[in-house]
Amino acid sequence: MTTAASSPSFSSGFRAIVPLWLGVAPFAVAYAVTAKASGLSLFETQWMSLSVFAGASQFAAAGLFGQGAAPISIIATTAVLNVRHLLYGLSLAQKVPLTVGQRLLAAQFLTDEAYGISISAPGLNLAYLLGAELSLYTVWNVFTLLGSLIGALVPDPEKLGVGIVFPLAFLGLLIPQLVGRVPLIVAALSGLLAWGLSRVLPGGVVVLATGILGALAGAWLSTRSERA
Amino acid sequence: MSTALPVLLTLLGMWAVTYAARLSGLSLGHLRLSAFWLAFLRFVPISVFAALIVPDVVNSADWPRQLLACAVATLLLWRTRSLAWGIVGGFTVYWLLRQVS
Repeated sequence: MTTAASSPSFSSGFRAIVPLWLGVAPFAVAYAVTAKASGLSLFETQWMSLSVFAGASQFAAAGLFGQGAAPISIIATTAVLNVRHLLYGLSLAQKVPLTVGQRLLAAQFLTDEAYGISISAPGLNLAYLLGAELSLYTVWNVFTLLGSLIGALVPDPEKLGVGIVFPLAFLGLLIPQLVGRVPLIVAALSGLLAWGLSRVLPGGVVVLATGILGALAGAWLSTRSERA
Repeated sequence: MSTALPVLLTLLGMWAVTYAARLSGLSLGHLRLSAFWLAFLRFVPISVFAALIVPDVVNSADWPRQLLACAVATLLLWRTRSLAWGIVGGFTVYWLLRQVS
């Protein structure tokens, strides 16, 4: 299911994300329930999943709406949590040449998970990227709707214990990249840094700051040894 | 429709800042980068994955169980190089630990 096909296609990208549905679906339901509790209508709850499509920031926004926060502070929180997507786009753009129209389309559906699966796929192309992106988009939106309709009946994802699937999936993407000394050092440094930062900063900022600092360390270490 | 205008405008703003971040990264692919910045981008997945994994696990309420599940998954991934085995193995360990403790 997760081994890359000889020629990456929309459907192989779509299927590569399927193991993550298990983790995504309950969180979409939980988001819908949170949004409802915060006074958002079914339409508003769904519209956020369809347009913004970024899990952590949707949770944060639902909470902030519930507290009656100012629109500007909700938008600013969203920006801070999601600015890490800039790194994902930069990283993907180095591997896949995209026309303007393709960028406009691919940008709407970019996520942590779609980035992770795609960047690790050999011979990555637009079809595979869109397959991975839309796989997550589909499950996130279907389960947002289900959550709005029958959310009260579904147990808390915390109680189901399915959240573990995310670190496991990212581990599965990380481990094959750890070939050689510098990647190992970068991973260890980044893990420690993220741990420290997570005590004082929100999750999206931690990923952005660690992503930049860890990669800088890697670039410095590897180009230094090439020169030496 | 009970939708209030400020809510819709807020949602529009949320979409705009998120889409802008996604699009601007994808649009900078044509830049010709030095060896240093090419290396930087090669290391982005590694640093990002580490940042997505570690806080999630160590700040969780049941971090000892999650840590053990991740350790088993790491071992499986190292040996098999299969994402599916890593997820299934780690998940199984996590579930068994939940049943006994």
